Amino acid sequence: MSQNGKNLVEVKDLKTYFPVRKGMLKRTVGHVKAVDGVSFKIESGKTLGLVGESGCGKTTVGRSMLRLTKATSGEVFFQGHEVFKESRAGLKRLRRNMQYIFQDPYGSLNPRMTVGSIIAEPLRVHSVGSPEQRCENVNEILKRVGLSSDHARSYPHEFSGGQRQRIAIARALVLEPDFVICDEPVSALDVSIQSQIINLLQDLQRDMRLTYLFIAHDLAVIEHISDYVAVMYLGRIVEYTSAKRLYESPLHPYTKALISAIPESKPIKDKQRIVLDGEVPSPSNPPLGCPFHPRCPVAEARCRHEVQSLADVGTETEHLVACFRALEGEK
Amino acid sequence: MNEDNINSFQRSSLWHDAFRRLRRRKFAMVCFWIVAGYFALAVFVYIAESIDPTMSAINWKEQLGQGMEYQRPSLCSVKTIFGTNFLGQSTLISTLYGVKTALAVAFAASVISIMIGVPLGAAAGYFGGVVDDIVVWIYSTLSNIPWIILVMAFAVVLNDDKIMGGKLSGEPGVYLAIGLTSWVGICRLIRGEIIKRKESEYVLAAKAVGCSNSRIIFRHLLPNVFHIIIINFSLRFVSFIHMEVIISFLGLGDANKPSWGKMISAASSELTRGIWWEMTAATMAIFVLSLALNIFGDALRDCLDPKLRMER
Repeated sequence: MSQNGKNLVEVKDLKTYFPVRKGMLKRTVGHVKAVDGVSFKIESGKTLGLVGESGCGKTTVGRSMLRLTKATSGEVFFQGHEVFKESRAGLKRLRRNMQYIFQDPYGSLNPRMTVGSIIAEPLRVHSVGSPEQRCENVNEILKRVGLSSDHARSYPHEFSGGQRQRIAIARALVLEPDFVICDEPVSALDVSIQSQIINLLQDLQRDMRLTYLFIAHDLAVIEHISDYVAVMYLGRIVEYTSAKRLYESPLHPYTKALISAIPESKPIKDKQRIVLDGEVPSPSNPPLGCPFHPRCPVAEARCRHEVQSLADVGTETEHLVACFRALEGEK
Repeated sequence: MNEDNINSFQRSSLWHDAFRRLRRRKFAMVCFWIVAGYFALAVFVYIAESIDPTMSAINWKEQLGQGMEYQRPSLCSVKTIFGTNFLGQSTLISTLYGVKTALAVAFAASVISIMIGVPLGAAAGYFGGVVDDIVVWIYSTLSNIPWIILVMAFAVVLNDDKIMGGKLSGEPGVYLAIGLTSWVGICRLIRGEIIKRKESEYVLAAKAVGCSNSRIIFRHLLPNVFHIIIINFSLRFVSFIHMEVIISFLGLGDANKPSWGKMISAASSELTRGIWWEMTAATMAIFVLSLALNIFGDALRDCLDPKLRMER
């Protein structure tokens, strides 16, 4: 077990670089630093929200943790096992307990398999129970996610987006895992369906004592479902704290800008909207110093050369931020 | 959920849809029945031959006794209904026998090329790296040799009595020659399709669940490219029939059995003398079969194309 017994998952300095190859000999001319030194831990039964704009490496973090994408360096501990050092058989055992829900329910279900065989596949791969028992398990999980057992015989294309995502959730949960990575599970769905799926995920978390890593770009969704939130920018975590504290008193200028952009149901007149200029820099050629400095409204000279690593501001609830200005202002 | 869906359990709905749409195309269905008729004829010839193995041979010998003489087409007897060739052999029986030769060779060659091309393409596409390099290297080399020379080389070598005691001479030599040289197309196609699909989310999902590589290839990837194999099969079949005709035209086929290529080869020199029926019978048989197969293959491709699937 890692140092803290409560932590189900711990990620230490995870780096995933994709080589950029050019020319006849496919020489590596550079790297896209999709994930550049990310560390966090998730307590058992809690939800960590991972938020950031598209291209910031959220999905790569999730995929690297499950070894779906090969990480360049770093360590991931899950229930005391080091995921990156497991053998093939050990990895298969671990995958029984860590599952993944994909963003696009239209792409993540094999169109040539019936819903029943899609959901039963994890059971079959891990040789759980007899065929009859598997059938029962499938029917049970289908009911649990709000579908009926008749649906097992249909094909994915006969379902709507929301129903498909329920099928994908059923597949991820049929092995009764401890930890589930939800990779933008609602962003491909209609707004009206999103809340249903979010509520379903929350109900299931309560009933099955699940731990979630919830990846999203929608701050409102993250606020609703997360206990803790990590904000990512250009492959790094820039702020980490409890969901409540993040929305009440964000410290990092990037988080401030994000939160100011959430539309509100009752607009207050003099709400200050922080508008960021420019584009997200390319992760293959990130700026020197703090990666956010070219767009930061409060950047100063040293931000261009030095990087503040994630540091605790020393409040009662854990609150980490990677910004000189924010840390100074707080201390 | 209607009755239809429940009944379609375990049966791929893609095929169900495709055949329903195919049945609506009248012309394609006519072509399908023509092709089916040819196959029935081939089976009939095969059965007739297995009951009486000398069926074709008897006609050769029997006719030989009657002198080397043409008989013009006439309705008087079965032997002369399409006329005979210069050996007095019935054109009708030769043409019918040619159906069996052509279809047997094309079918066996298709199966061989799929058995080689699909696994190699799938392995190259899925594993990439060195495996991919080796497979691509093999098929690039093979496809750089003009195919007719390659097929002829194979056919000549396989016809040699010293190899396998002469077991590969004749018909097996022809379909092995075609099959062993023409898997490049399907291999390339499958490799491309697998590369396209291996990063898709359902494959990642299978990986996340803990599926082994072979399970991912056989349960997830190949069923999703199976329609491509079928379409390729139906369209390549025609070219395999043509290859058989060319090989036997060049005299590399089975010397003892009638085939369309041999008929055309023999008839071509007689055409100037006004002996038109042998050439006509063989070319018409090839023409009708090729046309029907091509039209049916195109219709099948339209119906199996996943992009057109949503339209009902």
